[in-house]
Amino acid sequence: MRKHALYGLMAEFETADALLEAVRKAREAGYRRLDAYTPFPVEGLADALGFHTTRVPLIVLIGGLIGCFGGFFLQYYPNVIGYPLNIGGKPYDSWPSFIPITFELTILCAALSAVFGMLALNGFPTPYHPVFNAPRFELASQNRFFLLLEARDPKFDAEKTKQFLVELKAFEVSEVAT
Amino acid sequence: MGMEPIGPQNTPVVPPGVPEIAPGHTYGSVTDKISAIVLTRGTRKGWWVGFLIAFALLMVMHYAIAMVLFIGVGLYGINIPVGWGFAIVNFVWWIGIGHAGTLISAFLLLMRQKWRTSINRFAEAMTIFAVSCAGVFPLMHMGRPWLFYWLLPYPDTMGVWPQFRSPLVWDVFAVSTYATVSVLFWFVGLIPDLATLRDQAKKRIAQFVYGFLSLGWRGSAIHWRRYEMASLLLAGLATPLVISVHTVVSFDFTIAIIPGWHSTIFPPYFVAGAIYSGFAMVLTLAIPLRSFYKLEDFVTMRHLDNMAKMLLATGLIVAYGYMMETFMAFYSGNPFDRYMIMNRMFGPYAPWYWLLITCNIAIPMTLLWSSKIRRNVKALFCISLVVQLGMWLERFIIVVTSLHRDFVPSSWGMFYPTAIDFLLFFGTIGLFFTLFYLFIRYLPMISIFEMRELVHKTAEE
Amino acid sequence: MNDSLPPQYDRVQQGSLVAGVVLLGLSIALGFSNWTQFFRSYLVAFIFWTGMGLGCMAILMLHHMVGGTWGFALRRLLESGAKTVRLMAVLAIPLLLIVPKLYSWAAPEADRAAMPPFKRFYLSRTFFTGRTIFYFAAWIVLIYFLNKFSAEQDRTGEPGILRRLQNLSGPGLLIYGLTVTYASVDWAMSLEPKWFSTIYGMIFMVTQALSATALVTVVVMFLSDRKPLSDIVTPLLFNDFGNLLLVFTMLWAYLSFSQYLIIWAGNLQDEIPWYMARASGGWAWVALALIVFHFAIPFFLLLMRFIKRRKRILAALAAGLIVMSVIDIYWLTVPAFEPKGPEFHLTDYGTLIGIGGLWMWLFLSQLRKRPLLPLHDPRLEEVLHHG
Repeated sequence: MRKHALYGLMAEFETADALLEAVRKAREAGYRRLDAYTPFPVEGLADALGFHTTRVPLIVLIGGLIGCFGGFFLQYYPNVIGYPLNIGGKPYDSWPSFIPITFELTILCAALSAVFGMLALNGFPTPYHPVFNAPRFELASQNRFFLLLEARDPKFDAEKTKQFLVELKAFEVSEVAT
Repeated sequence: MGMEPIGPQNTPVVPPGVPEIAPGHTYGSVTDKISAIVLTRGTRKGWWVGFLIAFALLMVMHYAIAMVLFIGVGLYGINIPVGWGFAIVNFVWWIGIGHAGTLISAFLLLMRQKWRTSINRFAEAMTIFAVSCAGVFPLMHMGRPWLFYWLLPYPDTMGVWPQFRSPLVWDVFAVSTYATVSVLFWFVGLIPDLATLRDQAKKRIAQFVYGFLSLGWRGSAIHWRRYEMASLLLAGLATPLVISVHTVVSFDFTIAIIPGWHSTIFPPYFVAGAIYSGFAMVLTLAIPLRSFYKLEDFVTMRHLDNMAKMLLATGLIVAYGYMMETFMAFYSGNPFDRYMIMNRMFGPYAPWYWLLITCNIAIPMTLLWSSKIRRNVKALFCISLVVQLGMWLERFIIVVTSLHRDFVPSSWGMFYPTAIDFLLFFGTIGLFFTLFYLFIRYLPMISIFEMRELVHKTAEE
Repeated sequence: MNDSLPPQYDRVQQGSLVAGVVLLGLSIALGFSNWTQFFRSYLVAFIFWTGMGLGCMAILMLHHMVGGTWGFALRRLLESGAKTVRLMAVLAIPLLLIVPKLYSWAAPEADRAAMPPFKRFYLSRTFFTGRTIFYFAAWIVLIYFLNKFSAEQDRTGEPGILRRLQNLSGPGLLIYGLTVTYASVDWAMSLEPKWFSTIYGMIFMVTQALSATALVTVVVMFLSDRKPLSDIVTPLLFNDFGNLLLVFTMLWAYLSFSQYLIIWAGNLQDEIPWYMARASGGWAWVALALIVFHFAIPFFLLLMRFIKRRKRILAALAAGLIVMSVIDIYWLTVPAFEPKGPEFHLTDYGTLIGIGGLWMWLFLSQLRKRPLLPLHDPRLEEVLHHG
């Protein structure tokens, strides 16, 4: 494999704890471009990778507010401004009856923001990604835990990094093509 | 921001020795056991039998719909004074059934109840299919269903907007929001499992389809973090949403001033009734499934016991609703309210009323107090069917007895359902089970990644 | 075991007693000039503080049923709070003696012959008195056994007692729901005997649960710096209390709004006058204050994690919710007497704080009798070892 085609080195671990330990050591060793792949969410792993806060709640808040005000306006405008009609003697601004739809649209917009915000931040859909080239990587969705050190990392050196990963007692270390 | 779980280290009432998952499982064994149902074990004979029956019933639904489209809503048993018949009864019944699925997946997630893990996936599927069935009825009650989009707010050439003061328009928003959010929640939950299936599948077509649907999920820790946050927020949004949906359904009745409909207890009592029938449906589905696919390790007695307790709690709230309605009819001194209650109890529909009380209150509310019965699978299965019948009858009684004798005796009448009424109702049961059979054949009916997480957490303890 | 209430609370306890006796005494003195007004004020205070004790009882039983770490720190507070119901039983006696002064259906000038037959039977003085006695009897028996079993658990540590507590709490919650519903109809709804609403009892239940949760949150905040509560109290636990408050706030808003929307849309002669009084004149401002301070502001604050995890901020918020619960009860009942708008009466404050003083005194004296943590609950042991 030619050097410029190398995406990174993938190390496989048998347990979540081993992976967590390896991530911590890799961060201590100065690696910054790294990622970990697990078959279920492992507590503390994102923090160990240096990822602490997510913007998903903020996106949801904004979506919810848009839904809330938009939903109320959607009803207020036609009933009070656009086309006021006297129906059943109720006031034009029948705010109590506008609450249910306002509520539903708040939830709808917030939920859409949560899902599409999460997908967008994660960069989905990703039809192709180099990590899928790693041998045995299909086990990352089953029962094995993987650590990837990217070749872009300034600290990355094909030989030394491989040595480093072997020292972490990885079950297997493999090269990943771009 | 966002709702976080109540009770971080919640220790639910555990009868010692009944775990959420049978001991001895590993990440690999749970993955293989659940995914094998979809990927390798093939289509079993029992599945074909059930599917074909359901599919035949689905064809019945198509027949009924075709008839209604060609000839019209005159085929239903509705007329003045009972202008709302089976259509609304079935709509409310199906919507209610869906609610337990959302509550199991969302509310129990917020409560960090671990026992939800093995039932949430198919409970959510049940929600979506139940909402699909529910949607058939208002559409097929419209007379001209092809103009359904008039209900949506858009600046049309007629210059008219939907009547936003009408609970029926609220219903459009509530049910479509509910359907959308349920599908999103379900799909988000499925993504990691679809990736598992993609990685395990041997056939090219399965690899392609599951690969396409899993959006390129690779289990990155950072993705998991965002994923978990989004799931938690969705759960926080879905819980009040469920409550609002059946509240809006109850507004369909209470905003009118018909005695028997116009009652302030309706919102909480409808919500409780919905959860009641929904948990009954979860039991109806879970009990045969766990034995057919040998999933007793994952859906343990503890799940059944907990769901039976939910039945008891929500059933008691429903009973409270009946009691308050009856009490206030007398306390208020309103002669129409009083007449309506007397007519329900002793009028022409009295046998159905008392059957409803038997099915919803007399049988389950006495038996479910006993932990022996809650742990008896056959008894629970029967009770779950009885409750669903009872909840269907409840909606029937609310709709029909409130309408059939209105303020003026000269306009009294009776409601008799027609063949098409029944065919459409049974047909939607076919729709529900057809979808459900397809679901258990092609998608993992238990959340695999959450089971792996459960194995991990159980091992840590 | 030196794990009970720290000694500095002796002063608080005595102070509560003195404040209670003095303020109630002053209110009675004011009552000599206007007994009707005195008892109107007294009724609001009585409904609120009875509800506080009953709320404690309900949350206690709920915790026995569902468990969860949040409840262990609260358990002893809830048990002590529930025990105050017997004080309220004593304080109910004067009310039962003056029913015709408060309730128009019992007034000597009431045209009872014109009342619908069921209402004439239900809202009769004897039946009313009998029912109130029955409610208190049921509550006191329930609370007696809840405390008895719990004390046994402390003493013997026998694991089977948990089962007994659960077997009592299930039916107990049922009894609670029924009695509170009818008590709210009797004591509050029948002030305007023409009006009715089927959701009314549930609103009272939620208000009781909310005010009791808010009160114990405040008390836990004060006790949380020292042993034994400091062993189990964490920011996460306050987060749980915050979530409970959030749930009850949302439920309160949900039930109150549902009632309003249904009655507003129906616009029927029997029902709407109740809201017309409460949404006009001075009462409209009270209603607006309820929407903003009983729902909107606490709701948004309680969504935020950093507020729920800071115990002093959360306790301040909880205290605010207690005040709003009082105002809610006031808004539900007093327009029956003052349809034009809220009026200022010293006795309103005197009776509320006076009865509150007595309540606090009894609460603290019960609290000191037993260790602050239910150490022998098998589920708490699990939390302490694994948590």
